[in-house]
Amino acid sequence: MGEGKKLKDIVIPLNDYPHMPYWATLEEAVVLLNFTYDTGHNTLLVFDESYRLLGMLNQRKILTGIQPRFAKSSPGRITIEWEELIASSIPQQLKKPIKDFMSPINTIVDVEDHILKVAHLMLNKSGINLLPVKESEKVIGVVRMHDVFHEITGFILKAKK
Amino acid sequence: MRSLLSIFKRAKKKVKATQPPLPDRVLFKERYDCFQAVLSENNAVLEMMADMEEKLSGDYLFDMSYVRSNCEIMVERIHNLIENLNKLSNGKYRGLYDAFKKINSDIEGTLAKKVETPVTPFTIPFEQATKDMASSVGGKNANLGEIKNRLNIPVPEGFCISAYAFKRFMEHNKLTDKIVLSAVDVGDIEGLTRISREAQELIMKAEIPPDLESSISNAYLELSNKIAQRGGGSRNTSVRSSAIHEDAHFTFAGQYATALNVASENLLAKYREIIASLFTARAIFYHKSKGFQEEDMVMAVGVVEMIDSKASGVMYSRDPTEAGRYAIIINAVWGLGPYAVDGVVTPNTYVVSRDSDRTILEKNIPVQRFMLACNPEGDVGEAKVPEENKGQPCLTDNQIKALAEYALTLEKRYEKPQDIEWALDQNNNFFIIQARPLRILTEKPRKPIPTVLPGYKVLIDKGEIACKGVGAGKVYLITKEEDLENFPEGAVLVAKHTSPTFVTVMNKASAIIADVGSPTGHMASLSREYRVPTILNTQVAMKTLEAGQEITVDAINRNIYEGRIDDLVEAGKKENPFNDTAVFKTLTAVLKSIVPLNLIRPESENFKPEFCETFHDITRFAHEMAMGEMFKIGDSRDMRKGEAVKLEVKLPLEIYMIDLGGGVESSSKKVTPDHIRSIPMNALLKAMMTMEWPGPPPLNVKGFFTVIAHTTMTPHSQKLLWEPSFAILSKEYMNFSIRLGYHLQTIEAYAGDNLNDNYIRFLFKGGGASLDRRARRTRLIKEILEKVDFSIHRTGDVLDARVTKYEKSTILEKLSTLARLTVFTKQLDMTLFNEAMVDWYVNEFIKKHCTER
Repeated sequence: MGEGKKLKDIVIPLNDYPHMPYWATLEEAVVLLNFTYDTGHNTLLVFDESYRLLGMLNQRKILTGIQPRFAKSSPGRITIEWEELIASSIPQQLKKPIKDFMSPINTIVDVEDHILKVAHLMLNKSGINLLPVKESEKVIGVVRMHDVFHEITGFILKAKK
Repeated sequence: MRSLLSIFKRAKKKVKATQPPLPDRVLFKERYDCFQAVLSENNAVLEMMADMEEKLSGDYLFDMSYVRSNCEIMVERIHNLIENLNKLSNGKYRGLYDAFKKINSDIEGTLAKKVETPVTPFTIPFEQATKDMASSVGGKNANLGEIKNRLNIPVPEGFCISAYAFKRFMEHNKLTDKIVLSAVDVGDIEGLTRISREAQELIMKAEIPPDLESSISNAYLELSNKIAQRGGGSRNTSVRSSAIHEDAHFTFAGQYATALNVASENLLAKYREIIASLFTARAIFYHKSKGFQEEDMVMAVGVVEMIDSKASGVMYSRDPTEAGRYAIIINAVWGLGPYAVDGVVTPNTYVVSRDSDRTILEKNIPVQRFMLACNPEGDVGEAKVPEENKGQPCLTDNQIKALAEYALTLEKRYEKPQDIEWALDQNNNFFIIQARPLRILTEKPRKPIPTVLPGYKVLIDKGEIACKGVGAGKVYLITKEEDLENFPEGAVLVAKHTSPTFVTVMNKASAIIADVGSPTGHMASLSREYRVPTILNTQVAMKTLEAGQEITVDAINRNIYEGRIDDLVEAGKKENPFNDTAVFKTLTAVLKSIVPLNLIRPESENFKPEFCETFHDITRFAHEMAMGEMFKIGDSRDMRKGEAVKLEVKLPLEIYMIDLGGGVESSSKKVTPDHIRSIPMNALLKAMMTMEWPGPPPLNVKGFFTVIAHTTMTPHSQKLLWEPSFAILSKEYMNFSIRLGYHLQTIEAYAGDNLNDNYIRFLFKGGGASLDRRARRTRLIKEILEKVDFSIHRTGDVLDARVTKYEKSTILEKLSTLARLTVFTKQLDMTLFNEAMVDWYVNEFIKKHCTER
């Protein structure tokens, strides 16, 4: 039985992954994530003007951002009409900068880390499907739960044969 | 050349080594002054060119001193333009001096061309004169000699007093120094009268040099003998002007004196009189306005046997008023010819068909009571028409037909319709006294074009006329240079901008219309050279006119009509009545060294000083290079902040400014946008301040990793982010290097009152993201700028965009768009994940920020 893949084999380089400056609007983020639908990328990295990583914005955060207020305050009354979505406060929300919606970076992995360690870090915090990867103090890309899952389960399946 | 250059370089180094460096502001100011000088000389020259070309339309009166002085001023301006360009560029374009020298010497050569007076005997008998001797004996004498010697048509005996004799007479009395006509303006009637009087007095008092006098006496003696041999009675003569240039190209009809029936003792006095008539105010005016130079005013004289005519008159080999009528017109009076020529009495009129049997189509015989006749003692006077002739035709049918025959022979010989003076002596012998080309009005008298033609739809009625005329055809829209390749014959070229490249279709275009452009631009000059009716600055042509639509362009009244109006096209055609004259020929010749444009595309191989063949080439080259050199002043990244003033502005930008004059006005050290007087800078800042800028970064973000994302980022590029922006300003000018991220960006603009000067140049390079994202951003900028009419060169992540020659207001509007675009695209490269994202942003910008359309 051979060794599994290294983390660096499954890192998606930054250039191939959607990212935006913190002042981009929620609308820009929505547009971008719609354009990346086919790639399976569902999160944005958020940088400041000198390319320091500030945070991440995933689909969950975006949908939370545009969830109509009344639905939030009384969960019993959920909007069931599409028109109500548009009539709500969404247009105002879309104009806001993504820094208002993003989640901070709490965990970052090193490109030399083992994939299993990455899996462990992801599982330890609920809702984390993506982690930034650094190499000697530079963010070089991201690693997705999707790819970690594929590597680990693939390894298991192969071992069973 | 090389040595000059190295001297220049050495001198420059020396200055650097021994003197402390001049402050930036002074250096910039020097260069800016040179730049401005290039702009203003360029405009002045283009305006002069337009004016000179306009003169060729035939609608204006001008003289040789106009051509000379314009050439002189232009030469001076071109020289100054080259000097300033070289000062601006540290002597980079000294090759222009060689081109300049060559063109200048061509122009001088053209202007210096003049007819030398050939050295001949003072007097020449008619037997020896032919039509090739016009410069020796004058046109009239030369023609008479030709008729006598080569056509065997009877001409009175006579001799010429040559042009060389005139020269001898003038020089002997130092009259060439005493009569200075160039000092008088052609429009100054009083001056003309004064100088004419002075000249005539000098001539009448002048001595006829003894050698000339004896030559005339001998020739007269010989003439008398010939007349005696033929059995003629009177030895009196007529003394007639035969000015050089008269008749050859232009008819100085009735300008000069003629003395009839001159007795021998008065011959020399009459010679003086005829010479003096060269200098009547009327003749001087005529001469100057037709472009003859002072040296060209030369008078030969004909001394001709006096025919004591029974009848005489004028004959036209064709009907000059009705081009359609195929007939010969003969006028006849009893007695001497002047009564027919001067219209003192109503002459007999005979109309003779030109067909082979010479049918007399019409006869009109009014009663003539008085006639002009020779006095027995000399001179002429009025006499009664003999009773038996009153009311009788002057000529018999056979005589009419014989005369008509002469007319046709003369016309055949000279290959042009003829205007002929004839005389019939008491023995019924015909003599031809004068023959010259007849001017025929080939067209119906032209009706003036009404300002707006009723009954037709006017599509556009604004713009500036760059070349007068009327043209009609189908609209062909030019949006890019390649469109020119398929330009159809006879189409009307319609474009947003003017471009010298349009010259390639000017032989096909029936008219040119552009939304922008000025009559003093490069292309306008080409339009005039090719005589393509052209209206520029219509503003709306591209919007209003549709491809394939038939239109008529009236570039006389500035109207563009729907449909083809042939009458209007016909009315717009005209013949230039003056294009045969010396001044026209000279102007046309010098303009060949001035106007044609050979340097068309700046990117082409021949866009170099050594390929400049005309002044127009030099101005175009210099203007282009001056803009390039000026643009570079923003490049010097070592600008010392100390000299610049900081702008206090509510923008996340650190802006330092250097004022070259009129750009900033502040009494205190503190400068705010209110103190800025630079027109382009104001427009730019105003637009920037209306944009929403990125807010501050979130403060309470946890897990803040200070790691740099982009692997190609270097310490140098990292530094760029924090560099201040620099603006070099004057009232009309701005060269602004803006730091708004990791890219380099410069906006340069000139917004003055002359739209030929106006331009915007925008250079954009680099960025913080990877190359593909940076390239996506330049594509985004390119697409937006193209929508607002910039012409763009883009390679990878470098973008060089320009607009030129717009009105100030449009330039400012475009600057505002650029300012908004600048803020909009700040670090946008980061976001451009794919091409779809680029398209989305292009639409967003146009929707939200493009107020231009």
